Formats: sequence, structure tokens, C-alpha cells
Amino acid sequence: MNLDILAQMVVSGALMGLIYALIAYGFQLTYATSKSINFGQGELVMLSAFFSLTLLNLGAPYWLMVPGGLLFGAVMGLIVERACVRLSLEQKSEGWILLTIIFGLLGFSSAENIWGRDDRPFPSPISADALNFFGISITGLEIAVALGVFLIMSIIELFKRKTLLGKAFEAVSADRDAAELMGISATKTIMLSYGLSGMVAAMAGILISPITTVGPTMASALILKAFSVAVVAGLDSGFGVVIIGIFLGALESLTSFYLGSGWREAPGLILLIMALAVRPNGVFGKANIRKV
Amino acid sequence: MIKRILLLRGTEILCLLLLASIPFAIDNAYVLGLLTLLTIYGILLIGLDVTVGYLGQVNLAQAAFLGLGAYAGALSVSLLGLDMLGALGVSMLTGLLLGALLAFPALRLEGPQFALATLSFSALSTTVLNEWESLTGGAQGLSLTRPALFGHAFNAPGFYWLCLILLALVWMAMRNLLASQWGRAFEALRDSPIATDAMGVSTFRHKVAGFAFGSSLGGLAGGLYAFNFQYLQPQSFTYDLMVILLLGVVLGGRKSLWGAFFGAALIVLLPNLLSNRLLFELISATGLLLAIIAGGRGWLKKTTPAFQALAPIIAMSLLVTGGYLVENTENWRKAIFALMLFAVVVGLPDGIMGFAARYLTRLFRIAPATLAKPSNLTDVLPLSPSDDQVLLELKNLTRYFGGVKAVDGISMSIQKGHVHGLIGPNGSGKSTAVNVISGLYAPTSGEILLLGHPLPHGSLFKVARSGVSRTFQNLQLFGELSALNNVMLALKDAYRIPLPMVMLGLAKKEDHRAQADALALLNLVGLKEQANVHARDLTYGAQRFLEIARALACKPELLILDEPAAGLAHPDAAKLVLIIKAIRQRGITTILIEHHMNIVSELCDVVTVIDGGRVIAQGTANEVKRDPIVIQAYLGVADDEPVIASS
Repeated sequence: MNLDILAQMVVSGALMGLIYALIAYGFQLTYATSKSINFGQGELVMLSAFFSLTLLNLGAPYWLMVPGGLLFGAVMGLIVERACVRLSLEQKSEGWILLTIIFGLLGFSSAENIWGRDDRPFPSPISADALNFFGISITGLEIAVALGVFLIMSIIELFKRKTLLGKAFEAVSADRDAAELMGISATKTIMLSYGLSGMVAAMAGILISPITTVGPTMASALILKAFSVAVVAGLDSGFGVVIIGIFLGALESLTSFYLGSGWREAPGLILLIMALAVRPNGVFGKANIRKV
Repeated sequence: MIKRILLLRGTEILCLLLLASIPFAIDNAYVLGLLTLLTIYGILLIGLDVTVGYLGQVNLAQAAFLGLGAYAGALSVSLLGLDMLGALGVSMLTGLLLGALLAFPALRLEGPQFALATLSFSALSTTVLNEWESLTGGAQGLSLTRPALFGHAFNAPGFYWLCLILLALVWMAMRNLLASQWGRAFEALRDSPIATDAMGVSTFRHKVAGFAFGSSLGGLAGGLYAFNFQYLQPQSFTYDLMVILLLGVVLGGRKSLWGAFFGAALIVLLPNLLSNRLLFELISATGLLLAIIAGGRGWLKKTTPAFQALAPIIAMSLLVTGGYLVENTENWRKAIFALMLFAVVVGLPDGIMGFAARYLTRLFRIAPATLAKPSNLTDVLPLSPSDDQVLLELKNLTRYFGGVKAVDGISMSIQKGHVHGLIGPNGSGKSTAVNVISGLYAPTSGEILLLGHPLPHGSLFKVARSGVSRTFQNLQLFGELSALNNVMLALKDAYRIPLPMVMLGLAKKEDHRAQADALALLNLVGLKEQANVHARDLTYGAQRFLEIARALACKPELLILDEPAAGLAHPDAAKLVLIIKAIRQRGITTILIEHHMNIVSELCDVVTVIDGGRVIAQGTANEVKRDPIVIQAYLGVADDEPVIASS
């Protein structure tokens, strides 16, 4: 076996895995405040990517496109919260699962009809040329992915820890009822978490598009792996998603190399089912105590 | 009663005859194809409704079970040379086994995790069907021929009749199943898994069985699907189909056989409805009109929240305006599904058939089925003689949560036939102690002995089966079940008939007897007249009493009442005292956790006082009331006053 190829596979896979980790991080944000996640998050990634591409095509410069795309993602996140999540949470039902799936369906169909079914290239000022590190080639785009993922996660974590609004976020995550008694509006905090989550999804879309191209189905495989990462790491695990993301990315890269690219999705799916069977709260998650 | 049977069964038989006779009247291959598909989807959706409706979980794997069943049926014909019956058996078995396999890991999961597990399963099965090319032909697809049944080859109408017969059989089996203890258990574990286990009904067993049964119907439908189209492709069974199936169940109406059938009809007809412009505009306009009328009425009467009234109107308006702007509605098929589904999920949670059923019941004045005559209470709860035996013994019981010592070494014994009070300030560890005894938590250390035998640790179900039953401080009733069904569910040793016989409808007699017994218990707590009321619609006091009746249905050696008087109005509290006295007369030992000292004084033979997770006093109510340590625990004591220790 050629060790160089192996190392190359692991590194490229791991860099892809960071994108899964970023989307999974978006799940964590909403799960923390409301114990709900957006099953249409993949469509959010895709719609934001299409929107950003449209901005570029309209002549917006790259530095303007990024905040524009992020804003779009945040607004979509807020719409999901209002239309699909809030009512179910008020009724303490799990209707949000179905409603966010429906939202995803609507988003998918709209994208298909507005932007067409074909994949389109996404221009980027960052070079796609490969750089060589100890015999492993890494493209500038891949480095940009890694930097972008860590940048946005750090900003949000800093926001949660250093600002008053962020502390409200942490308070609602820790104990919703107690936070409400302290005068923090849980509804507004959940809105905030959905806005942030949408923004994270948009960031993932903007980062991955130059590598994978943009199309209606661009996120359908991505999202399954993000689910796996979120569940395997634990939906309340913090930075655990990064470790699991890197691990899964590397694993599936090796799988597709040795078993064929059709089996690429298998390890994530198997890991997810296994994790749910053995550790439903995830590798890094905390077990919660049943109360009556 | 006769009217009820006539109307309900009559409609079913009439519908069946009508469907069966269509091929005689219309000789049209296209119509026949649609009808066949209708029966297949009918079976599929009845299966999906078990998880989505009765178990209340979002199941995203039914399309995968359809696919796996289809491939299993097809391959058993081409590789093993089985005939129709054998192949359909293989299809069904595939669904059953894989369903059970998936149910085991998915068992402990609820809500999003369950949906994710089923989603992964279906993605995985698509991958396998695609990649195992040597067996399935991969993306190229798999062609097959329709097998014969006992040498009889099927033409198109013949195959349709076969599908129709199978649908009728599935329908009957399902109706019998849902009317039995199984149906009650499905709904109970959706409303409160904790209480289901605590009543000695295994959530584990019923969840696996329910999911596997639903999946086996998916497999059966898959087999029929394969022999109908005689060509299979993995792409047919993906997420897209799954969403459409969910649309069918939800739009038709959850928890309803007619709803599943209606949903199937909708799925089959929808592509045709969409391709016809005029028809589409008609449907969307009707939808908008309905949304406006229903939403407006609900909003004016303030019965529905603004969002619930408004959102369907917005969705339907989008559908109508979109219909005018868009050139080709078929390209927007998924968006149209999405908008319709959104409007129904938000505005009409019971689905179209749920709504229609309520309306028709009122229109035809269909009375609920008449109830059995209550049994004699002594037959249900035999009088047990009280002697001086020790029933329950706790030896140095502890339970820690991290650093918190909630129960910190409790030793006590409870005599048979006593009402044993357990009191103490808030946070003293009373509830944790009974949660450990009843199996919700495993003890950190220590022993629990019932009649000298150790009780199982950390399993509500096993402890309940050993003869300990309880009520909950925060009510854990099965809200969607009637008061009667709440009690019937918990009835111990009443259901012995095995599952296949239940499906054949042979459990009716047994159920009737259980109903009589349950009514006797309802009578004991004064709720006989409200037997058919949903538990969630009962008054607060009645809900408390219903929990007691339900706990008694487990025929316990030891009954634990966790703050039964909490929040009760005075007349209800007086009623509670009478109920507990009646229970004591039957010789049932009771642990009573209570804050109302007058109730404790009136009822309890012995009172144990707990503070800080330890026993601080024990004696009659009057003794402990005067104990200085107890007074100190409840009221505190000034620093300069010396505390007199009691020995």
C-alpha cells in the first residue's frame, strides 16, 4: 500500500469533513435552545449558495457577496423558525420535524425551477492550484474551507461567551424555564439561534460551492453526513463535531477509495445508526436524567 | 348499537364491493392500473400509519421497506423460483425482519433521533440496492415476470383482485389489532412511555412489534409493487417517495384506516390532477376557500391561534397565485405538495378523514359503543388479609446524582396492609426514594426487598410486574386514550391471546371481560360515568383519581401514591381520603407521600419523615408531629436555641 496516497486521502477527506462539522454545528445551535433541528438545513445551504452565486452574477464583488449570502441564510433561518418551528414548540409537539421537511421540499422545488437543475460553477478569487506539503497536495480552496469554518465557529463561540445576548443564549440552553424567570425571552433566543444556524448554513454553502459546484442536489448528500456527525458527536457536544467531522471525512474518503465511490455514503449512515444504538447522546454528549 | 355496526361495517363492505366490481364495468387498462396502485399504496400507508399515527414517530423508512420488499419478492421469484404466495411471504418477512432489526437501535430514541435513524436506514438501503449490482442490477434496474398462484397465472384484473383481497385482509387485521390491548399500548407509549412501563406494559416489546408490523406491510406492498410493474429501479424508493407517503398519511388523516386509504387515493390521483390545468386551479381555489372559512371561523371564535388560522391561508394563496404565474405546474409538483402539506399539518392536524369522521359521527348521531356491565369489585381486587408480615424493606438505600446525595442511606420497613406515610420538606428525597423503589432510577447502593425477595433495579416495567404500582406527582396519564382505556391498558393478567389470534379478531371476548373489570375500578374512584371521556379532557381532580384507578388495575401488592392531593380542591381532597380508605379495606399496602398533614394524620398507620436523604423520625402521625427534629427540619431553628435530640 502506498502511504502517500493514504495520507493524501485522509487529509482531503478530513478537510471535507470540516464542512460536515460546520453544518452539524448549525444543528447544535438550534438544538441547544429549543431541542429542535431543521431537517431542511441542506436546502438552506443550497439556497444560500444559489443566492450568493446570483449576487456574483449581478456583478457584486466577492467581499460584498459573502455578507450578502450570510444575511440571506440568517433570514431564511428566521423564516423556518417562524413558519415551521414555533407553533410546534408552543404545543410541545414534534410537528416541527414534518414541517421543516416540508420547508426543505418547497425550497428544493423552488431552486429547481428558478435556477434550473444543472450544476453550475461557482467562481472564487482563491486559487484552486495545489500546494505541496510533505508530499500531500492541498488546494487553496481547501485551506479557505478550513479557515472559514474555524473563523465562523470562533466568532459565534466568542459571541456566546463574551456578549450579554450570547449569555442569554447560554442561559436558555442550560435551563429554559429558569432563564425565562430571569426575564430572558426564550422565543427571541430561539429566533436568534435559528438566525445564527441559517448563517452557518450559508457559510457552509459559500465555502463548499467553489469545490463542488452549485446545484439543487448539492446538499442532499452533505446533509446526511452532517446529521451523522451531529448525532455521533452528540447534539450538545460543542467542538466534538469538529473531531467527528474530520474523522468521518477521512473515513469516507478511504471507503470510496477502497470500495468504490458508490459506497461513499455508507460509513456515515452506519456510524449514525450504531451511535444511536449504543450512545444515543453521542460520543461527547451528556446523558440526561429522566424526570417525572 | 346496531346502527353503529350497520353504518361502520356497511360502508366498508359497500366500498369493497364497489372497488371489486369496477373492472366489470370499465374495461380500461389505465384505470385498472390506477386501482391496483391504489390498493398497493393503501397497504403501504396503513403500515406507515402504525408508526406515524399510533406510535407518533416520524418514520422516514417506509419507502425503503417498499423497495426492499419489492426486490426481495422479485429475487425470490427469479432466483428461488417461488410462486406468488411464497414470494409475497418473502417480501413481508423481509420487511418484518429488517423492521425489527432497525427498531432495536431506534427503540431508545424519540423525535428527531428516531427520524434520523430511519432516514439513514433508507439512504443506506438505496446505496445497497444501487451498489450490489450482481444481485439487483444496480441503477440499470431489474426486470421480472409476475409469478403464478397455484399454477394460475394472473391477468391484470386478476392481479388487481388479489391486491384488493390483501388490502381487505390487512384492513381487518389492523382493525382487530387496534381495538385490542396492542392498539391501546401503541397509543399509551406515545403519550407517556414512562407511565406505560410503570403500568407493567413493556414499551420495548410494543414499540418493536408496532414498527416491525408496519414495516412488514411495507414489505408486502413492495412485493405487490414489484409484480405490478415487473420492473424495479433503486431510484423509485428514495426520499422523494417517502415525503409523498407522509403527505398521504397526514393529509388523509393519522390514526385512521380510512385516512390511509384516502391518502393512498390522493397519491395515486395527484399526478393526474396536476397535469390538468383546470382541475388544478379548481383544487387550489377550493383549498384556499376552505382555509379562509375554517381559519376565519376559528380566529373569530378565538379557538385557533392567529398563526394556525393564517398560515394555511397564506400557503393556499401562494398555491393559487403560483398556479397563475407558473407555466408548467408539473415541474412544481414538489412545491405544490409542500404547500398543501404545510396547510394541512398546521391547520388540520387530524387530516381530512379525521375531520370528516368527527363531522359524520355528529351527522348520523353514531353513539359510542355500549359498555359492559361492571364486574364485582372483589373479583378484580380480591380482599387480602392483613397480617404482621413485612411487605417492603429498604436496606441502606442510596441514590446519588453526581455530587448530590438525593437519597443517602434510607433503611425502613413497611408492614403489609398499612398505609405508610412518607413526609419531609421539599427536596428531602421522598420522590427520589419512590422513583428508586419503582425502578425509574437504579439505586447507587443498597437493597430493596419485597416480601423478602429483591426487587429488580432500574426497570419500571420489571418492578411493575413484580407487584409495585404507582401514581405520579406530575400526572402521566395517556391523554389521547379514554378514561376506560387508561385503566384497561394497565389491567394485569387480562390479556393472554397471542398476536396472530388477536389479528383474526378472536380477542373480543377477553377484551369485553377486561372492560368490565376496568369499569369496576373506575366505579371505585367515582369515574364510571366518564369512562368514555379522553383523559386529557377530565378535570384535574378526576385525572388524579384516574391515575389511582389505573395503578390499581396492576393489582399491586404495594401501591405508591406520590402527592395525590397536590393541587386538589377541598371536596376532591375529601373524596381522595375516602378512596384511599376503600383501598386500605381491600388490604392493599400503600406508601403515601403527602404534604397535607391532616390527610396524613387521618390515613397513615405509620409515618416516616425524611430530610436530606435520610430518615429522621418514624412513628404515628402524632408522634412525629411533636418530634423536635421534625419541627426543626420543617421550620428551621434559631441558632441560639439548643436542639434537643430525640432518641
